[in-house]
Amino acid sequence: MSEITITINGRQLQCQEGEMILPVALRNGIHIPNLCAAKELAVYGACSLCVVEVEGARKLLRACATKVADGMVIQTHTPKVLQSRKLALELIMADHSGQCVGPCSMTCPAHTDVQGYIKQIALGNDRKAVEIIKSKIPLPASIGRVCPHPCEGDCRRGLIEEPLSIAFLKAFTADRDRESDDPFVPELAPATGKRVAVVGGGPAGLTAAYKLREAGHGVTVFEAMPEMGGMLRYGIPEYRLPKAVLAAEVASIEALGVEMRTGVKVGTDVAFAQLREEYDAVLLTVGAWAATGVGCEGDDLDGVLSGIDFLRQVNEGDAPQIGPNVAVVGGGNTAMDACRTAVRCGAENVYVVYRRTRAEAPAADEEIADAIEEGVDFRFLTNPARILGENGRVTGMKLQVMELGEPDASGRRRPVPVEGQFVGLDVDTVIAAIGQKCVADGLEGLELTAKGNIVADAATGATNLEGVFAAGDATNWGAGIAIEAIGEANTAVAGICDYLAGRETVAFKPYFSQKEPPAAVIEMMRKSPKPRAVMPVKPAGERKHTFDEVINGFSEEAARAEAARCVECGCHDFKECKLIKYVNENPLDPARFEGAHHPAYRERELQVIERDQGKCILCNQCVRVCREVAGQGLLGLVNRGYQSVIKPEFQDVDVAAICGDCHKCVDLCPTGALRLL
Amino acid sequence: MRIVIGEGSCGVAAGAAKVHAALDAALTPADGIQVGITGCIGMCYLEPIVDLYDGDALAARLVKVGEKHAPAIAEAARTGNLELVADLRISSEDEEFLSKQTRIALRHCGVVDPTSLDDYRKDDGYQALAKVLGEMTPEQVIDQIKTSGLAGRGGAGFPTWFKWNAARQNQGERKYLICNADEGDPGAFMDRAVLESDPHVVIEGMLIGAYAIGASEIIVYVRAEYPLAIKHLEIAMEQARAANLLGDDILGSGFSCDMRIKAGAGAFVCGEETALIASLEGQRGMPRLKPPFPAERGYLASPSNINNVETFANVTWIINNGGEAYAAMGTENSKGTKVFALTGKIVRGGLVEIPMGATLRDVIFGIGGGIRDGKQFKAVQMGGPSGGCIPADLLDTVIDYKALSATGAIMGSGGMVVMDETTCMVGMAKFFLDFTAAESCGKCVPCRLGTERMQEILVRLVKGQGREGDIELLEELATFVGGSSLCGLGMTAPNPVLTTIRYFRDEYEAHIAQKKCPAKECVDLLTYSIDPQTCTGCTLCARKCPVDAISGEKKQAHTIDPQACIRCGQCLDSCRFGSIVVE
Repeated sequence: MSEITITINGRQLQCQEGEMILPVALRNGIHIPNLCAAKELAVYGACSLCVVEVEGARKLLRACATKVADGMVIQTHTPKVLQSRKLALELIMADHSGQCVGPCSMTCPAHTDVQGYIKQIALGNDRKAVEIIKSKIPLPASIGRVCPHPCEGDCRRGLIEEPLSIAFLKAFTADRDRESDDPFVPELAPATGKRVAVVGGGPAGLTAAYKLREAGHGVTVFEAMPEMGGMLRYGIPEYRLPKAVLAAEVASIEALGVEMRTGVKVGTDVAFAQLREEYDAVLLTVGAWAATGVGCEGDDLDGVLSGIDFLRQVNEGDAPQIGPNVAVVGGGNTAMDACRTAVRCGAENVYVVYRRTRAEAPAADEEIADAIEEGVDFRFLTNPARILGENGRVTGMKLQVMELGEPDASGRRRPVPVEGQFVGLDVDTVIAAIGQKCVADGLEGLELTAKGNIVADAATGATNLEGVFAAGDATNWGAGIAIEAIGEANTAVAGICDYLAGRETVAFKPYFSQKEPPAAVIEMMRKSPKPRAVMPVKPAGERKHTFDEVINGFSEEAARAEAARCVECGCHDFKECKLIKYVNENPLDPARFEGAHHPAYRERELQVIERDQGKCILCNQCVRVCREVAGQGLLGLVNRGYQSVIKPEFQDVDVAAICGDCHKCVDLCPTGALRLL
Repeated sequence: MRIVIGEGSCGVAAGAAKVHAALDAALTPADGIQVGITGCIGMCYLEPIVDLYDGDALAARLVKVGEKHAPAIAEAARTGNLELVADLRISSEDEEFLSKQTRIALRHCGVVDPTSLDDYRKDDGYQALAKVLGEMTPEQVIDQIKTSGLAGRGGAGFPTWFKWNAARQNQGERKYLICNADEGDPGAFMDRAVLESDPHVVIEGMLIGAYAIGASEIIVYVRAEYPLAIKHLEIAMEQARAANLLGDDILGSGFSCDMRIKAGAGAFVCGEETALIASLEGQRGMPRLKPPFPAERGYLASPSNINNVETFANVTWIINNGGEAYAAMGTENSKGTKVFALTGKIVRGGLVEIPMGATLRDVIFGIGGGIRDGKQFKAVQMGGPSGGCIPADLLDTVIDYKALSATGAIMGSGGMVVMDETTCMVGMAKFFLDFTAAESCGKCVPCRLGTERMQEILVRLVKGQGREGDIELLEELATFVGGSSLCGLGMTAPNPVLTTIRYFRDEYEAHIAQKKCPAKECVDLLTYSIDPQTCTGCTLCARKCPVDAISGEKKQAHTIDPQACIRCGQCLDSCRFGSIVVE
């Protein structure tokens, strides 16, 4: 054996004659995807992912099975190679039947690893749970309290009984960690010397500040209001999110070295151009603080105010300018916050005027239930036709009676007026909680949508201005829920980091394998139902007179038991799965090859390991390691072609008696097809 | 006179054994007439065939013989009066089927008794072996083969001398010579015919190869579905052993080599040499990557040489006549002759051996007599599932490795399936993909998953569920499967699809855009109706219809209920007025 020189991607590398290309490349940090090669196994060459272009060779060659030769020139990522790899992965994924991550994570706008942190909560590891949550949500105690939790809507426990109480578990574990002696603090990357200005200290801005610090960048947050927190601070009432909880989480972010400048409005107190000048990048998370009016005659009368203005006044501690009879217009979460706040401010009669029914209302249903408990009078299927007034002040409303017609673009049935039917409502105050929009005053040169929101790239958060990014309520489709703003902030931070490093962002929607819930899991839930933990709350009669937090929090016992209800829909091997890692290196479209596929089928006939045929990609490493390394040969391939499956080759083998429990097969499995029993 | 009956598998299938028994019954020992057998004469379409010999000269060849003809044949043999069997004698046109051929590999087929060593020796049997062992060094043998230009007849066409030389050069305690008789292409039966009809020529050829490379053991890997071939090979092997042509110190030369037969379970992929070796070793028949080639690391990790049956069948002729004589036949790239199994919609089907350089037209029209039932020639599939189709306008392509590859087809092992205008090319591609997808070993991703998806797309095309973009998807998959599969099965599996798309793209388009099958073969795309102008109301079709989809009053035009119709074609076959319209 003598030393020779080869060139991979322009790099000259020394290696030994007789070696294959793949180990030489991997040893030198050159990435070549591979699913069937292992150091301890003989060359196999089945997956065809490791193909490379070798100068002088007509066809692509498998790096795992091609010997190096002196002077060989190799390219690992040419268009031809990538095309071949893409097709191979598409074919594998079109056949692969797994559930990479649970429906909860798929649904979460921030793609939080729900299953991961719920597991840690069940195990009693709050610090670890918070570490997982904070990799996406740096404000877990706050978000756990206020999030309308789309994740719970898709929880598979809900198919049979009730979903897990995911959001409250998040608040529980975050409170425990924060109040512990050793709360989780993220490790910061070495300082990059780059500085980023974040305009707006709401959930998106705070998330970005945390993540940018974590990445080693300097961060200054400019907040127009006197305190940080944005809508969490000024829109959400105290009884849902105590200011102290939010302040503590803000402080934990500040402690990472984030400079927070409150009371500074960009565009007024400091010029946008100046920020662009002084900072390496600017992130706009300015929110949507302007309200949409009711849009009927009389909406300019005294006594008509907007929901967010009303909530802000209360949250600032100012005396609210409402009378004893209040109508809140709208069916969203802001409307619920407004009506319940009005109750707590002493209004005698509080109405909610909403043009559809409870079923269509965007507000979380438990919010509506709580409001009804607190005495709020809902007038569904009514819409303001006119706000009546005398001497410039509101005296009542004329409401158009509505009915539901055909579904509209949002899929909800469209409310249509019942001609000639009106009802009256005696009120002195009208609070419009219909919609919000961004006001991008003082931010010169930004491209805006027709509705006045900032146009931001969905994959990077980039705006039309060099070095300026945007996220949250102020962008694209406008105001949404906090977790959406947080998800966008995570995306924008990745975009900013790439920008600051001078990298092109290769961004595309990640691919996840999904499948129907396994029958066995459904059966298990049916056989042993575990009811959802009920969050203890203060009685309506008590809570309606105070701004104290409504929920009392889970007991530890209740929380751990609730977390243990998780049926773990996501693949146990997702984080180690080589397959999904390669799949998400480049955009794929496995749907092109939809057709027969191996169904998810867990079988335990091997007695010591469980095998999921749906996830198996027939790399045969388990078969080979058992034969070549463990010297047993317990496994084999049965059938031919597409019907091939891995099984003991002969039916009457007593696997448990022969297997030495070395679990080398499970260790080598590149997907989650094998697991130890 | 002597009677010889062709009792290859095809003859037996046509009733040769029954004819044999009837002849035995019609003759008495007192007649002094010998009834012998021979192997495959090659004219499958005329089986059973009985030859009457006067001494060593063929006096009459009788075709399509039945048991009822036995007394007349017996009488003719007794009396020498051939007038008695005049109506059974082969026509001069049919004689052309053989007279236009040049037989080297098949030279004893249908001539000698495959179970008789004496018969084989009567001509020049085992003279080549004696010559090699007595007068030639292994290098000289390889040299002769090199001069002959003989290339692997199994399909790939790799120079035989090169493989022999590589196996000779590689050091090993033991070396093996393996005969690949795992002939698996649908429609191919060249190797079976040779083994059944002339096993000694293969044994002799293998022994010469074994001597050339220094092998001490010969293994014949033959599919278990060839029982007659195995039986004749076993008989020949025993005879050769008994005659010191096999075993220790063969013919006193000091060269020792024995032989055994391994029956394969019939996996198509085991025709691939590395899979064949795995199967011989008792492993699952799965190919592995080359290099290392078997010549370096083959059976039991020893240097091994694998050739196909037909390749070995050429060796003795080359040794006896010299490499130059062999090389004198053929083209610049392709020397000697090639055997084809001519089947399909052809007038005269059977085994054809012709010199390289002849055209496809020579084979299909010259020897095969063109298309049956006056229909039009559409295409010929060369090389079975690994090959491709060649359309009518390329009929003058010469039989030559390079020229055939240029069309997208391959020489292949010799399958030649002829198609006429009623063959749907999409359905044809599907037929072969069904085969390769089912026969894929399942090891590598491109072949296991790629052929499965290609097959699914073809299924939806013939069912009328094709989608816009399916042709492009097929092409994309075909390129990937052909370019990235581990072994020859996957590398060549897309060929039928690629060539049918290349030459008959309009047929694919019709299946997708109009949901029509231009050849009217894909039943799901057909509609049957009755032309009311010509229908006489004879009710025959209504009575034939197995699902009662046809109704109508007597002497009134009938109609077909398209919902009930299963498109079986019975009405079409039964109508005497041409009133059934298929679209």
